[in-house]
Amino acid sequence: MHSLRIVDFGRVSALRSQTLWHALAYGVSDGGPPTLSFMRPSRPYVGLGYHRRLEEADLGACREAGLPVFRRMVGGGVVYLDEHQQFFQIVLPLADVPRSREAALRRLLSPAVAAFRAAGLPAELDDDNEIVVGEAKICGHGAAQIDDAVVVVGNLIERFDHAAAARVLALPDEVRAEVVRLMERFVAPTPVDPVAFRSAAIAAYGEALGLEPVAGELSEYERERLLELDVRFRSPEWLRGPDRPEPKCFQVKVRAGVYVVWIEQDGRRAVATVIGDEIDRVQVSDPELDGALTAALAEVRFVG
Amino acid sequence: MTEIAEVAGFQVALDRAYDPAGHFWVSMVAADRARLGLDALGVETSGTIAQLAFLPVGEQLKRGEAFGSLEAAKFVGPLVSPVSGTVVASNDGVVADPALVERDPYGAGWLIEVSMADTAELRDLISGSDVVPVWFAGEVEDYRLKGVLAE
Repeated sequence: MHSLRIVDFGRVSALRSQTLWHALAYGVSDGGPPTLSFMRPSRPYVGLGYHRRLEEADLGACREAGLPVFRRMVGGGVVYLDEHQQFFQIVLPLADVPRSREAALRRLLSPAVAAFRAAGLPAELDDDNEIVVGEAKICGHGAAQIDDAVVVVGNLIERFDHAAAARVLALPDEVRAEVVRLMERFVAPTPVDPVAFRSAAIAAYGEALGLEPVAGELSEYERERLLELDVRFRSPEWLRGPDRPEPKCFQVKVRAGVYVVWIEQDGRRAVATVIGDEIDRVQVSDPELDGALTAALAEVRFVG
Repeated sequence: MTEIAEVAGFQVALDRAYDPAGHFWVSMVAADRARLGLDALGVETSGTIAQLAFLPVGEQLKRGEAFGSLEAAKFVGPLVSPVSGTVVASNDGVVADPALVERDPYGAGWLIEVSMADTAELRDLISGSDVVPVWFAGEVEDYRLKGVLAE
């Protein structure tokens, strides 16, 4: 039986809580063993999805709160991360991962669900590949192909500051208030024993992948890549990211299927809350925007 | 007019070449200028496309290197070029509206155009209206056997 390298980095800096697992991905791509890793950031910070516009983060609020911002190579949006979250990452060679993104995510998130269940939570993987208890998401995730490796990341959220999470998003006040209201309903912390979760995750990933868990550490190659990544992730060019057009219709995803959508015209604003296939709430500052909001909702594409 | 055939439940354009590794199509729009896009199987396995980004015009590209990236379901992956050359155009329409790739993968959903360094690379791709459907049907069958596609 081949081995599954287990690396627990413990408590690390905000920067290293990103760059360490990116270094592992380069290592696995270079022929390193499949790897399951764990870490916890020592302080709060903000993570930005690979394709997201930097303007989606409220950089002034981040500066004021002393929160560094790092762009990651996996997808998703602007997220608030802190020491009450234990991160985990599974990194596999590309050849060992299904070609369908949906199938790959399902395969690589299912062991995490098993670990949550072993830790005492009635967790499930829903049709949107969100790990949920009831209607609430309990685990943020993202994924990327990095060279010839695939990494899927997630977190055990022991405590979650919904207001702080919404504060780092660049949002109009009424949208932010709505996001907080929805986060309190649809994003839930899970105060389970992180040690029990970690042990269960090691067992579950080993079993699901047919690999023998073996404690390991960074290779020399990965240490070199780590130093490069430390520099890259601190550079303004990397943080700026690819040029993206400003959308006609803005949206914030709270969890899959739950969005706040808004349009702006001449200083006026119309806001809609969408839950599943239903428009749950509408706030329109000017009745003339009714039509524009309806048109925007008809065309908007809800994405992660 | 693009000739489209239905093969194993997917639409396939017969007037262009295909890269079996990444499921990209390559269509010559001038003597050395190739337009690239995703084929229907590439679209299917990507899932609902949320974001696309491309290298800037003027960038040099080697076959096997990424000419951009695609995000679907919070999963980011490279778009790997089947040809070498210089990026001469990218489709702003799909960056603004990635759904266009799903709606019209062989037409308005194209991705980039490349001034090819060596058109001999086209010989390594799959082409021909008699060959492409057979190859594509085999790919679909293989994907179904591996569980990548639903039955």
